[in-house]
Amino acid sequence: MRLLNISCKKATYLVSKKEQKRINLFDRIKLRIHLSICVLCRRFEKQSNLIIKNVTLTSADEKLSDEAKDRIIESLRNVP
Amino acid sequence: MGQVVQAEDWVYKYADILFNYTLARVQDRGVAEDLVQDTFLSAWRAKDSYNADASEKTWLFAICKNKIIDHFRKKSSSKEQYAAFDSANNFFDENEHWTKQDQPNDWGISSVSIVENKEFYKILDYCKKKLQEMQHNVFVMKYIEDLDAEEICKVLNISSSNYWVIIHRAKLQLRKCIEQNWLNS
Repeated sequence: MRLLNISCKKATYLVSKKEQKRINLFDRIKLRIHLSICVLCRRFEKQSNLIIKNVTLTSADEKLSDEAKDRIIESLRNVP
Repeated sequence: MGQVVQAEDWVYKYADILFNYTLARVQDRGVAEDLVQDTFLSAWRAKDSYNADASEKTWLFAICKNKIIDHFRKKSSSKEQYAAFDSANNFFDENEHWTKQDQPNDWGISSVSIVENKEFYKILDYCKKKLQEMQHNVFVMKYIEDLDAEEICKVLNISSSNYWVIIHRAKLQLRKCIEQNWLNS
């Protein structure tokens, strides 16, 4: 059983590997066992997956200032 | 004269969307402005070789994306990469258990209601921009640009194990920052 025991530090690292599908079978089993008994690491997995899934949706709606636009136009005009 | 008008048309048509695209990918507004300017300049110089296979917009975005990746590449080579190992926060104690101040707490709300909440995205954006630079850049390349680990390592010239540590630290930091701001808002 000692062989299958992993720490929270190791478990969260494996959560990151698993999320990118870079985890081997043995690690997967160890992680599953750890998550079944550790609510904190289960939360970490759930919350970080939520963040990753929604990170592309944070679209800002900002304008480039008129000065910056004028500067760009000016620089294009100076291209030989 | 025709060229002058076209330059203005171009900038007024595409500058804002390119700026927002870039802002979502770099931490600094000034850098975003410079990258947008570089994008227009490169496009302008290459406009004669542009053929209409792709739309003008798609073409500009492709150039912009390259500028951003290039910016990450330069940043990675000019900086000591190992600053990515932020020492201020360990998250785990000497027994590798979560420390009290860093452990994940219950956000007290379902995932579904969180993603419907505008405030969540504001906090997410704020926390993303606060990540240590290398963590931020790796995170953006992975989760916004959707590059795979090997490509990212190649562009940034980092080892695979370095990549995993950086991306994992980014997630730990981001999760914690969001929790602090979310539960206190």
